[in-house]
Amino acid sequence: MEAVGRLRVGSRRGSRTWDRTLPVWIGASLFLVFLMLLPLGWIFVTSLRGEEGWGISGYVQVFTQQAFLRAIWNTLIISFWVGVIAVVIGSLLAWLVTRTDLPLKQTIRALVMASFVTPPFLGAFAWTLLAGPNAGLLNKIYRSLTGSEEALFNIFSMGGLIFVMALYSFPYVFSMIANVCELISSDLEDAANILGANKLRVALTVTLPLTAPALLGGFILAFLHSLSLFGAPAILGLPASLHTITTQIWALFQYPPRLDLAAAFSVPLLLATMLLIALQKKILGRRGYSTVGGKGGERRLLHLEIFRIPTFVLVLAILSLSVFLPYWILLKAALAKAWAQPLTWDNFTLENFKFAFFQYGDTQNAILNTFKLGVLTATVGTIIAALIAYITNRQLLWGARYLTFFALAPLVVPGIVLAVGLFIAYTRPPLVLYGTIWIMFVAYLTKEMPIGFSQAETTFKSIHPELEDASRILGANRLGALKDVTAPLARAGLIATWCFIFIGVIRELSASILLFTPKSKVVSVVIFDLKEEGQIGVIAVLGILLLLVSFLVILAVQWVARREILATRE
Amino acid sequence: MATVALKGLTKKFAEAAAVNDLNLEIGDGEFVSLLGPSGCGKTTTLRLIAGFLQPEEGEIQVNQQVVSSPWLLVPPERRNMSMIFQSYAVWPHMTVFQNVAYGLKFKKLSSDEIEKKVERLLRLVHLEALKGRYPAELSGGQQQRVALARALVVEPQILLLDEPLSNLDANLREEMRFEIRRLHEEFRITTIYVTHDQAEAMVTSDRIAVMHLGKVIQVGTPQEIFERPRTNFVAEFIGKTNILRGKWQEDGRVALGEDMLVQVTVRERYKQGGAVSLCLRPHNVCLVGSAEEAEQWRQEGYNLFSGIIQRRIYFGDAFDYMVELPIHHLTLRVVAPPSQRYELGEKIFALAHPNHCVIVGEG
Repeated sequence: MEAVGRLRVGSRRGSRTWDRTLPVWIGASLFLVFLMLLPLGWIFVTSLRGEEGWGISGYVQVFTQQAFLRAIWNTLIISFWVGVIAVVIGSLLAWLVTRTDLPLKQTIRALVMASFVTPPFLGAFAWTLLAGPNAGLLNKIYRSLTGSEEALFNIFSMGGLIFVMALYSFPYVFSMIANVCELISSDLEDAANILGANKLRVALTVTLPLTAPALLGGFILAFLHSLSLFGAPAILGLPASLHTITTQIWALFQYPPRLDLAAAFSVPLLLATMLLIALQKKILGRRGYSTVGGKGGERRLLHLEIFRIPTFVLVLAILSLSVFLPYWILLKAALAKAWAQPLTWDNFTLENFKFAFFQYGDTQNAILNTFKLGVLTATVGTIIAALIAYITNRQLLWGARYLTFFALAPLVVPGIVLAVGLFIAYTRPPLVLYGTIWIMFVAYLTKEMPIGFSQAETTFKSIHPELEDASRILGANRLGALKDVTAPLARAGLIATWCFIFIGVIRELSASILLFTPKSKVVSVVIFDLKEEGQIGVIAVLGILLLLVSFLVILAVQWVARREILATRE
Repeated sequence: MATVALKGLTKKFAEAAAVNDLNLEIGDGEFVSLLGPSGCGKTTTLRLIAGFLQPEEGEIQVNQQVVSSPWLLVPPERRNMSMIFQSYAVWPHMTVFQNVAYGLKFKKLSSDEIEKKVERLLRLVHLEALKGRYPAELSGGQQQRVALARALVVEPQILLLDEPLSNLDANLREEMRFEIRRLHEEFRITTIYVTHDQAEAMVTSDRIAVMHLGKVIQVGTPQEIFERPRTNFVAEFIGKTNILRGKWQEDGRVALGEDMLVQVTVRERYKQGGAVSLCLRPHNVCLVGSAEEAEQWRQEGYNLFSGIIQRRIYFGDAFDYMVELPIHHLTLRVVAPPSQRYELGEKIFALAHPNHCVIVGEG
């Protein structure tokens, strides 16, 4: 019996018809695992290998030195307040947009999207022009109005930092809460109403508890986001000698570099994000359960009546802080000879554009690098994300569901931590990538994998496997079914995936800042560098370029999506 | 033309056997239903036949040629089969015409021939006017017909259907049952049809294979399955039924309780005094009000039960009675024509012919 069993196993391998697509699936899976494990593995190894050999001296130093502890403390305080403010603003806007008769709701959504797309470092830079203590425009206006000598607002402070980071974190909360608000049908609230509860009680006993998990989840998301930001704290905190974990890691990379300390300092950040993501998952897991009752029934809008216009003005005021004011000052700085003076004909110039695009080699090179990397990463990233999503969705390989874990792993890795790992991993054989744009490519590919994968997975989830089966049974082989059925149906979703990765890449700063070399600078790094030199006009030009390209790409996605819907007439 | 044989087929998912040592033979041009509750392994069996899954044990033969075994798997595209899926799987990015023509492009045909064949099939399923439409512009029933036409146009040697009607509304479902049977009579393709709906299986099939827990437990014509269920499970799954438990007596009778003996048709011998289950269909029981009439019937060989009407439901074309028998806690469900009206609490007599009292297993 035993012998027969063994014989079977042996011959099964021998004559089983070979699926020629198998190497592709296996190759993509191995590549992904390699991509994720290498940098993280090196961080742990390096953190334990100090200058005096193996040991935990790195950790001891990190957790006993005053400066490091200070940075951790600052990070926690800042992230906490960013989380709180983001939840307040984000949920207020989400509720107003989904459940009331606020005017121009589509426009407000678009403006929230604009805040989302604006790189936080660019927002931070714009706010240095708006609320710097001396030259800041708002402070100048304040002084001329009141005759006071003092500044109204100093953006180079912890308060300023919290304020700016919250402005660019609230869209995360917004989208989360808006989703939940759209799920809660009026029936649930009516049910409470009919039992005798008044509007306030309904809000407190039904609506709030239903959204509570999302609020908490949104808080964690905003907290995480600000935890991993590098640009804004560097631009606004460093002038005030205010270090966060990310800027501290960056400082450890300046001459003389202390990789062991940087690695040791990265590990707690990594663990903290892991913990928070796990917590958020748990909380949001319950969210699904709590909204099951909302059968997507009809939703009635609350009439704001006399508060309608004042509320609208308030919303515009909030959005002007994140969008209108920063964009206006950037535009002004780009077009003016002296950015602090009013923009008159005398003060108007196109010099900055000419300088950035045609004269200054650094910016030309950086723009080229950025778009090269954007296209390259988006293309390769989409292909890999699509392959992995296809494997996990169709269970093509044994252990396919573990691939999901690897594809989503970078979610818990802040960009700068990833860069520490990549720096260590690729400055040594077998793959010396440091000094080329390829190390940036690997960094972006890793960092954007979660978003690419989730997009691609949603796409494949919407394509029923039987659509492929139907093509197979009628005579197509696996590749033929992919070509005839899956590819055309997945096209719109994969184009969107490409665009999301592209936008993510061209705005990336926190990993780039550790990995660039003079030849491989990208736009975000140049912006950061030029700040030191005070080249405000050129920064503004580059910022506007990034924003414009991002918006164009988003419009393109929407256009493709709409066209696709028309084509299949669903 | 093709025969199919499933021999000792086993397929496990995460160690639990979805299909467990399954045996079934399907003749050339035969229409066989795999009937069973959800989770009984019928769809898995169908996907094994199609070649989407490979068995862990056993083999599948088509025309005596092995196409699936643990060592060999002919891919779906080389099996010359067609399949109709539960979700229809009509491609949303192709028009009706393109959907139906798809399978033909793998055969060496001129575009004229393709067009002719597609047109003919579209006429057959009454879709010729809609050939330029996209699936999203069709109703569920029309999409179903597209799937049917697409599967038939390639002239497969075997046609597989996976709960093709379960997403349709009740009226359409009934219409499509007859449609499927009509197409079968026209093409005579060997067909395997998976369903959990016994009426669907009855209307469409030459034979029904009832499945339970990954095995085929009874195969037979619809009539055999209905009238001579071999187990409790089959009896209860196919149609309404009364299951009465009793003890087997040597003389071909079953004792229900102390003094109630039921004459049954004997097929095999059971152990004297052994526990058996008896199947008696509600519409095979006849109710009479008078004791004399009941006695007459009893003398003609009918089994006689006396009881009290406990519940009555009016269905328009029938009364559905629940009759309480004197044996404790035993009730008998009876379906009677609307002319036979009895009141609640009325004492009546129930009669059942031994031919209709079928032993469906021990215990």
